Amino acid sequence: MSQEQQKKDENRKNVLLVDSSRCIGCFSCEVACKLEHDLPAGPRMFKVIQIGPVENGDDLLMNFMAVTCLHCDRPACVLACPTGAMQKRADGIVFSDPELCIGCRTCAVACPFGSHSSIPQQARLPNAMAAWPGWNKASGLRAPSSAPRAP
Amino acid sequence: MLTHEPLRRFSGTRKDHDRAVRTVCQECTVGCGLLAYVKDERIVDIQGDEAHPVSRGRLCAKGMAFIQGVTHPDRITLPATRNGLQGPFEAVDNWEKGLDLLAERLRKTKDRHGPESLVVGCDPEAGLDFFLGALRFARLWGTPHVYHPLGEPKDLMPPVDLIDPWAPCSSWLESQCIFLVEADLATTHPVAFGWVLDAQQRGARVFAVDARFTTTLSKADMAVVIRPESGNLLGLVLMKMLIEEGFCTQESVKNRFLEPDAWLTSFNEMSLDNVEQKIGLAAEDILPMVRFLAGNKSLTLVTGKRLAFFPFHGIWSTMARAMGWADNTGGGWYPLESGWPRLNTTGDIAGADDKFPAVKKTGLAPYQFTTDWVAAAREMEPKALICTGNCLNDFFSPFQPRVNEMDLITYFGSYPNLTRKLAHMVFPAAVWAERDGLCFTNDRTIQWGNRIVWPSDACRSGLGLWIRLAQRFGWEEYFPWKKENGLADHTAFYNWVLDQFPETSGCRVEQLQETSQPVCWPVQNKAQPPPKITPIHAPPDTEPTIGSEEEDRFPLRFQATRIISRTSDVVYWWPWTRELMAENAVQIHPEIAQVLGIENGEDILVSGAVQTMEGSAWISRMVPRWMVWSPRKFGERRVVVHKKRQTSQEAFDILKAFLP
Repeated sequence: MSQEQQKKDENRKNVLLVDSSRCIGCFSCEVACKLEHDLPAGPRMFKVIQIGPVENGDDLLMNFMAVTCLHCDRPACVLACPTGAMQKRADGIVFSDPELCIGCRTCAVACPFGSHSSIPQQARLPNAMAAWPGWNKASGLRAPSSAPRAP
Repeated sequence: MLTHEPLRRFSGTRKDHDRAVRTVCQECTVGCGLLAYVKDERIVDIQGDEAHPVSRGRLCAKGMAFIQGVTHPDRITLPATRNGLQGPFEAVDNWEKGLDLLAERLRKTKDRHGPESLVVGCDPEAGLDFFLGALRFARLWGTPHVYHPLGEPKDLMPPVDLIDPWAPCSSWLESQCIFLVEADLATTHPVAFGWVLDAQQRGARVFAVDARFTTTLSKADMAVVIRPESGNLLGLVLMKMLIEEGFCTQESVKNRFLEPDAWLTSFNEMSLDNVEQKIGLAAEDILPMVRFLAGNKSLTLVTGKRLAFFPFHGIWSTMARAMGWADNTGGGWYPLESGWPRLNTTGDIAGADDKFPAVKKTGLAPYQFTTDWVAAAREMEPKALICTGNCLNDFFSPFQPRVNEMDLITYFGSYPNLTRKLAHMVFPAAVWAERDGLCFTNDRTIQWGNRIVWPSDACRSGLGLWIRLAQRFGWEEYFPWKKENGLADHTAFYNWVLDQFPETSGCRVEQLQETSQPVCWPVQNKAQPPPKITPIHAPPDTEPTIGSEEEDRFPLRFQATRIISRTSDVVYWWPWTRELMAENAVQIHPEIAQVLGIENGEDILVSGAVQTMEGSAWISRMVPRWMVWSPRKFGERRVVVHKKRQTSQEAFDILKAFLP
């Protein structure tokens, strides 16, 4: 990678932003993710949670939040990983290298958003992104399947 | 500084495939365009159709998860029969043999109990062709008993002269206000709700009323909780107040209504006594709502399906015209689930000699568990049932305790559900992805849904079933839609269907097959100004609700509505959506849970006068104190909730002291 490209990547770090004000808790992102990556029912790489309704004076407030890997700027999972499997790329993407992962789940405990999930069929723990075959491919970054498909 | 750009939507698939099929999702009545990618006759991927004007590439969870049902290993693939309701099924070699048996048993039942002993339940899962075929077969047979949860095509659709100019959900972007009445669009039709959010972002104000604090209410600028099924009465009261506050001018009324003075007088004389008890709102609570609505030039009224089953449904059309909303882009009445034209599929039979004497229509739609439907079903004496979907556990549940009185229960379906467990004969049905078909949508459009994959050899479409069965009674001439190879010709059938209604007769299936652009109906747009109509008049009085003994004993109101991940029982065979929300959840208000000592997630009982249902407590303020909600239907409207070790009487004693 040229120095120029590296600098460009560092200036353009990817993080995932979900506009919760538009989230209606329809779970489309969860199912789209499973369809895209041929995942079974059980682990939820995307998990939509309902918050509320809570009382706010005479009104009620209710929100939905899609919890998944946010590709944090300072990812707690990467700092906590004992084998160096969890990594953050120059372009911002957080991923787990399945060759190094020992399935200790330290990353899951460290994640402040509770977004790490595992696939029971596999011995080792991929984070939400490691389960995504497209991530580590040099051929380029694929957009998360769920985001552009949700209503 | 942090800047961001939205992810670009992408089209196509990364998955290896042999062919792509452009079709229409048939899980609900929004009619989203989808592209299905097929490899070795299996669906490998589903993507929204970016070119589709309604869905714009978006799909909800149901529109993707359905593929798990198509290939589910439990699919019924062979016709089967048995004598009693207890023994094992015996597979029948082929459909022809099975249908011979069915015809013979039906004939015997007719000889013994008369033609009206046959009752047909049409779940939407079985397809529009099954329903329209059933209406036709029943007409020839001599039974009026054909039921569909959306009623007859005419039940939900307003009369033709009340149909507003075509205003699809995309026109909501032009609305200044969107008013949703007992319509939880965000849950039942999430892709259409995307247009509400877009309109809101462009400045439209969203106002929603419902019996629960639904997702739709949570996104609204103004949200009000009312008593269930009181929406039409609220419409009458709003109309009265709009007139009284001077927001509805006499001039506008004179241009639109026949006998406008009598109409105005009816509202002036309408009494507001008992209104508070019925709607749950006092007049002073309704006044801010009136002010919220008034002053909008273009306002869209979205009403839920169940309001169509209650009196004064036409008030919404009357209001949209009286206020002039219907005259402007982004305004008018948008009743949900009402996009079916008033098809007459038996008109030609009436003239056929006197061979098929007309049967009296009950005119009753099986809107779940209205007292009317339960009472009517109890009075009927069916001896032969033809069931689809899981109707014996749904709108046919009043028949469930009486299955042993039936001579014959036939199940035409795809999955081994409860209805199959209660059947004598089973015929495997194709699912929508396995058949061609016409789709009518909420937007009042017509679309063509292409078959994605072929069904297994033994699965047939609804039309295929009726054609073959009619053959056995010598009625081929009334079911002529057959290809040379003997299979049902859906193109010819639906061309005939479109011809049966003047408002759709200009449309051809071949034209729909070539495009992903929906065709709106009425196909011929009439340019002349809308004729004056007879508006809905206000009733002089609203009768008070008289507390029944049942209400005294069961102080909570039970309501079941759809959840976002579930259209019907078919979701049981879709693991991806099944895991999203507990089907046995029972929502109760935190204060009720507290006085009864119920914990979140605890196994509880919901008891009514006759039935009891088990469930898992979901303590939430989504329900008002006086309501219990569940995604599962249940044959009771008044209930009490209690812990497993508590009797309903003990819970009642506690609640009696707590509730006013």
